Amino acid sequence: MGTTDGEQTAAGLLEDPKSFDPKGTLALILVYFCILVTMWVYIYFVEFLGNDLIVVG
Amino acid sequence: MTATADAPAATADDGTAPDDGTGGSEPGTETFYDRFPEAARIVRATFLGAFLAFAVGTTFGIIQTLHRTGIARPFSSVDYYTFLTAHGVFLVLSFTIFFLVGVFTWALVRSLDRPLVNTRFSWAWYGLMATGMTLTGLTILAGFTSAVDVSADVLFTFYAPLQAHPLFYGGLAVFLVGTWLAGLDWWRTFLAWRREHPDERIPLQAFMVLTTTIMWYVATSALAISVLFFLLPWSLGLIETVNPTLTRTLFWFFGHPVVYFWLMPAYLLWYTVLPSIAGGRLFSDPLARVVFVLFLLLSTPVGIHHQYLDPGIAEGFKFVAMTNTMFLLLPSLLTAFTVVASVEYGARVRGGTGLFGWLRTLPWRDPAFTGMMLAGLMFAAGGFSGMVNAGMNINYLIHNTIWVTGHFHLTVGTAVALTFMAATYWLWPQITNKPIYSRQIGLAQVVLWFAGMALMSNAMHAQGLLGVPRRTAEPTYSGFEYGSAFGGYGELNLQVAIGGTILFASAVLFLSNVVLTMGNSRTDGLAETLAEPISGSEDAPLVLDNIRLWGGIAVLLVLLAYALPIVAIVQRGGLFGPGGEAYPMVLDALAILAEQAPDVLVERMPDVLGGGWAGGWP
Ligand code: HEM
Ligand SMILES: [Cu+2]
Repeated sequence: MGTTDGEQTAAGLLEDPKSFDPKGTLALILVYFCILVTMWVYIYFVEFLGNDLIVVG
Repeated sequence: MTATADAPAATADDGTAPDDGTGGSEPGTETFYDRFPEAARIVRATFLGAFLAFAVGTTFGIIQTLHRTGIARPFSSVDYYTFLTAHGVFLVLSFTIFFLVGVFTWALVRSLDRPLVNTRFSWAWYGLMATGMTLTGLTILAGFTSAVDVSADVLFTFYAPLQAHPLFYGGLAVFLVGTWLAGLDWWRTFLAWRREHPDERIPLQAFMVLTTTIMWYVATSALAISVLFFLLPWSLGLIETVNPTLTRTLFWFFGHPVVYFWLMPAYLLWYTVLPSIAGGRLFSDPLARVVFVLFLLLSTPVGIHHQYLDPGIAEGFKFVAMTNTMFLLLPSLLTAFTVVASVEYGARVRGGTGLFGWLRTLPWRDPAFTGMMLAGLMFAAGGFSGMVNAGMNINYLIHNTIWVTGHFHLTVGTAVALTFMAATYWLWPQITNKPIYSRQIGLAQVVLWFAGMALMSNAMHAQGLLGVPRRTAEPTYSGFEYGSAFGGYGELNLQVAIGGTILFASAVLFLSNVVLTMGNSRTDGLAETLAEPISGSEDAPLVLDNIRLWGGIAVLLVLLAYALPIVAIVQRGGLFGPGGEAYPMVLDALAILAEQAPDVLVERMPDVLGGGWAGGWP
């Protein structure tokens, strides 16, 4: 919007705060999402492949 | 403006504080202490109560850590459960709640820019909370001596069949009434403000306090019933038995929303204070309001997710609780986005560039900033283990293992506790006019907490996957070895112990810093201001401020989620239950089964056996 393609300048943001586009935040959240997915897959292995059947009784 | 002496005469009658969407203002160079000295004294008293509980609680924490890992056992394993009860109660009921009533009092008065309606009333609720918690605390500690026949080794989840001395429940009841009156105090102050400002939007911080208070009333209703009608009369000997499943269900009705009661003050600080410390501004006021409304609606009708392994509750009800729980992830994800974006804005304004490079420009030397950011990061990690806990099937993998303990040391033990410590470095000067003794020690302290917790909690998660139980003084058994994954049981124990020791050191640094700060003399020039949101309250639909509507829907959702399960529990086990002990209930269930046709038996046997024996009475 108020800034040139890509980089948002400090002055530009102070002048027009609503032009702020939180790209860094999006990037961080995508990283978090990837970690979550990896951990989920990992837990799948722990639960279904890591343990033998437990027979009670 | 009012009869109280709180607001200084010069500003008391103007009533025209500029409205930044986060609430009122701290005009010019006034701190909260300058502007509202009486409210500041109350906030200070609640913080001191919190720190006392924190001191005792963390001391017991290190004792437990060394005991259960077998590194040092100066006390008997019987006393372990007294330590554990005290650790739980002091930290999650006393430390957290005393601190948060302080944060809420500060936030409400600050954002309304108006003193509390009646300071004597405020001291009354503080007195009730302090008296009640002292009674409860002493009753627990009396368990260490056999000189008096008083004890309360019931753990902080104090449902039947474990029974405490009546003073334990009595103290809790008094404490609870104190918190209710605190909520009333905030609401009365808000209504007085409303009369003075009939057409203004509710300031954001006040909105957060008011919605959370309603959530607390909904949540604690079941706890009050459980304590007053069942547990207290039972421990007084007025009634013979209680229905354990009922008291468990009533406890967990309260037990989930209480975690949001702890968390909401941390969110309040992340939304309204953290962006300003970073030099940024809250990204969106409307989004923040939506988040708090969602928590009001969804915090309570999920409690049964703590009872996935309870044999007395039908799977269908558990499924409803799981579904609601998954919806509850939404407001926390919204929070992650909003808070990080607000901080990113600060970084960009400071000249930060690049996709990740902006992170470098943030004020990492500020203990308040770094502490809160690390707390948020830990919360994100806790989000993962929380999702595992929340899944009905995968919960079986970790239920009642030390994984769960690892999980909530990330959430309440770090996201909340570390945020509170970090916020102290920012808030304490505002409410006392005294500068922090050492901000360097503060910075070291928050980093140490993060490091210690990373070590301890990670090892607890790993031990949980090996099947190591929680709440166990000596978690080793003759003729049985834990698996050798993740480095094995012994190595993980070492990590738990080192992590716990670092945490304890961090707690000592924090408390010493506070005590030394109290010795400083008052100075001028400590006032901090909070920045306006980028997208302010004028962008938020008016209906968001209709707290009565949201409260009504919240109650409705709770009825939908709980009416049928509770009726079923009472029908099956009786209001006062088949007995206060666990295992005759299993026998009863077996007797019933034996009478049924074989096809019913085939259907229900797995539930009764699996639930009754594998689940036990955690
Ligand atoms: C010095 C810091 C701390 C250490 C070393 C520590 C250590 C421990 C350990 C080892 C346990 C597990 C005991 C067991 O299940 O056998 C435990 C339980 C617990 N901790 Fe902490 N902790 C610390 C701080 C905190 C904080 C700050 C909170 C919350 C604000 C907290 C809340 C709890 C709760 C609720 C339990 C569960 C009690 C129960 O199962 O009944 N802890 N802690
Ligand atoms: Cu929960």
